[in-house]
Amino acid sequence: MNYHEMEMRAVYAGTLNGLMDENPHVICLEADLGKSSGTVPEVREKHPDNFIECGVCEANMIGIAAGLAKEGKIPFCASFTSFASRRAYDQVSISVGFANNNVKIVGTAPGITNGPNGGTHICFQDLAIMRAMPNMHVYSPCDVYELRSILRFMVKEKQPTYMQLIRVKVGKILDTNYRFNPEKAVILREGSDVTLVSTGYMTQFAYKVANELSSGGISVDLLHYPSVKPFDAETLIQSAKKTGAVVAVENQNIIGGLGGAVCEVLSENYPTRVKRLGIPDRFGEVASEQYFFDKYGFGPEHIARACRDMMKNKVKGNSA
Amino acid sequence: MGKERFDRKKFDRLAQEIRYITTDMICRYGQGHLGGSVDLAEIVITLYYRIMNIRPADPQWGERDRLVLSKGHCGPILYTILAYKGFFPKSWLATLNMDGTRLPSHVDQNQTPGVDITAGSLGQGLSCACGIALAGKMNRKNYRTFCIIGDGESNEGQIWEAALFASHNRLDNLLVICDYNKLQIDGFTEDVLGLEPLTEKWHSFGWEVFEMDGHNWDDIYRKIHKAMTVKGKPSMIIAHTIKCKGNRLLENKPECHYIRVPDKDTYRKIMDGLVYKDVQLPY
Ligand SMILES: Cc1ncc(C[n+]2csc(CCOP(=O)(O)OP(=O)(O)O)c2C)c(N)n1
Repeated sequence: MNYHEMEMRAVYAGTLNGLMDENPHVICLEADLGKSSGTVPEVREKHPDNFIECGVCEANMIGIAAGLAKEGKIPFCASFTSFASRRAYDQVSISVGFANNNVKIVGTAPGITNGPNGGTHICFQDLAIMRAMPNMHVYSPCDVYELRSILRFMVKEKQPTYMQLIRVKVGKILDTNYRFNPEKAVILREGSDVTLVSTGYMTQFAYKVANELSSGGISVDLLHYPSVKPFDAETLIQSAKKTGAVVAVENQNIIGGLGGAVCEVLSENYPTRVKRLGIPDRFGEVASEQYFFDKYGFGPEHIARACRDMMKNKVKGNSA
Repeated sequence: MGKERFDRKKFDRLAQEIRYITTDMICRYGQGHLGGSVDLAEIVITLYYRIMNIRPADPQWGERDRLVLSKGHCGPILYTILAYKGFFPKSWLATLNMDGTRLPSHVDQNQTPGVDITAGSLGQGLSCACGIALAGKMNRKNYRTFCIIGDGESNEGQIWEAALFASHNRLDNLLVICDYNKLQIDGFTEDVLGLEPLTEKWHSFGWEVFEMDGHNWDDIYRKIHKAMTVKGKPSMIIAHTIKCKGNRLLENKPECHYIRVPDKDTYRKIMDGLVYKDVQLPY
């Protein structure tokens, strides 16, 4: 099987196993969702001494991880995004963020990818609330190569980190030579008509749309942000100067996440019209991906339309 | 008020039907929480058919007994029973988890008639049940609050915060059943995070504690009845159950927690595992 045909969670488990082989301080913590994150049975069997099953105790897991980190361990704690972020938010804020402990939090099944579990499990605000926490670093890889590279980076850098983990397969976007740099957006396509900004799960769709639009005569500057915090402002500003129109798309509430970061940067540095696509301030529900895309207008066809509309409006705006 | 006389044959039959339909609903959708749903059949049937005061035609009736399904991932079995009791048409059952459904995998008070509290983030339902019971006392209402929690769910600290609160506030109108099937997701409860001695724990938190065989009609009825006479403190009934009871293929297997049904073959195999198969689907 090709590497990019693996499920993301299998890559998570496999990479953790490899990192544990190199560094015995890497620890995997689970809160009764190890099967869901991919570490049960893979990590539990291969590195039983580095695997800690906490039970359904997300808040306690974060505290345990903070203590482990304080003593030099490198703990990776996983749970659904909903429980890893909002359920344990105060524990993450105090024991990890404020105390500045080297804890790695992995939020699995972000946003609409948790469709079958519905509103209680779907979290559209984890990027926003984690981004609003001092000391926290917030990443959202788009494919297996980026995931692997980010995990290696996380072990090297001593800093609190929150990472979204898509569990399922994602098509190939980057390649095996890719090296994650949190300070830099990844320019997946260069263009001059419109800037399209994405992260994590939505990047595969943005990539497809950018390619299609470009062959249809609209040249898209596609910026993928594997790191939502720190946020590479410079690349965005340069792109906005070039295109004058920006569309941001994310698998999140349009309030406070990637689109929020884009608006903050541009309004302070180079005011540009921005169209945010994502969830318009709603909770989740049990539903398929297509249902979410159609209901809230952020699927491939909506992204394409938003890019075209932004271009048209730009022309009108300039001639007026 | 919707209560029925106990007829062993009829109730046995009902439990089998409800297991069959719940399994079929989950398989149709293609995935879902099976084991912890179907192991509740006898308990939830006893509550809705023999114990609780309800008015299916008036789901918000103020005097009704409340049921909080704190292990909210087991919505499917509750939906089957609510449909049987007439809270909504049985045809809805075919829509479990489908786009736009009113029957989501985890129970939602704003979607489904008869669901008293939204739950699914484990540990939260019991606190809500405390609030409902406390409001009953404040409002001098006679309704009773029933709550079903899981053994895995009992890992959550919030369960024990609620346990302190309920006994401190003498919530004798609160009756909690712990579905002690000894399994959670990552394995057996005693391997993941041991709960034993569980009876002693609840007892030391100031609760009246009972144990029952969660698949035995007489025992369930007797223990619930007894718990309803307790004064001055909340009651916990630890129900010994077999996860995925009634399905020979999956009973007491860790993989019965969440099943995936990618094809017709798997569907057939799971349905074949059911002890009783002679059931007409109502949708
Ligand atoms: C706060 C929270 N963490 C994790 C989960 C994911 N989850 C769903 S069911 C489950 C196991 C629950 O075990 P138990 O309470 O014993 O349920 P049962 O075996 O009866 O189905 C977990 C961890 C959740 N729903 N909520």
